[in-house]
Amino acid sequence: MRKTFRETSKKGAVPWLLQRISALIIFVIVMIHFVTYHMLSEGAYKYEKVVSKMKSPWFNLMQFLLLCAVLYHGLNGVWMIVEDYIHIKGLRLFLFSLIIVVGVSLFFVGALTIIKVSNFNVEIFRAGVIK
Amino acid sequence: MYKRTKIFDLNYYKFIGSWAWILHRLAGLALIFYITLHIWVINVLTKGPDKFNNVMDFLNSPLFKFLEVGLWGVILFHAFNGIRIIIIDFFEGAVSHKKIFYIFIIIAFVLWVIGGYRILSHINWIQ
Repeated sequence: MRKTFRETSKKGAVPWLLQRISALIIFVIVMIHFVTYHMLSEGAYKYEKVVSKMKSPWFNLMQFLLLCAVLYHGLNGVWMIVEDYIHIKGLRLFLFSLIIVVGVSLFFVGALTIIKVSNFNVEIFRAGVIK
Repeated sequence: MYKRTKIFDLNYYKFIGSWAWILHRLAGLALIFYITLHIWVINVLTKGPDKFNNVMDFLNSPLFKFLEVGLWGVILFHAFNGIRIIIIDFFEGAVSHKKIFYIFIIIAFVLWVIGGYRILSHINWIQ
């Protein structure tokens, strides 16, 4: 039998559940992230202020979890929209590859930011640049 | 041949649930666009304090603070409508999904005003 896109809907149960689980994780962490970074920092974003939160490994772990959950949730959401409106097989394959490439590269950019800054942080802490 | 999803089927747009659905999608697309830029821009943290502060001086202008308030609104809508979807899916919220929608919109609006005030109070008008 010829394969149609209808069959892809049968594979949707696990992503559907993961979409909701990641949503709850993001809901909690994004509120913490937005309030601590975008609201409570007084006035301008300064390097020392932004980085001082990244002293704590737990905060970094939280940010890393947020990065993973957001990329999964967001790109899976985009894929769900593609499945709804795009019915040309080649275009779908192209968009799927694009989503994977964007996801992987953003994951590396974000993870490297967290790792580099937290390492750098330890160094300048020892040097006494930030208190 | 199966029936294709219409993007704008106006017959359904007299119901609040359809608006919640399409706005949830649009908000989601806007957020993934923002997050792409955010992850990209925040990578400048690894380039050291001077470069980061230069970029942030640009992003601390009133225009970007207003955009940040908009972002907070989009996040709140997507977040609370998402919780509504979870209630509908797992806790039989379908019977009262319209009521839940209005309650959550009010909660989100209150949080938007509080948070938005907080963000706007950071504007340094003399620059």
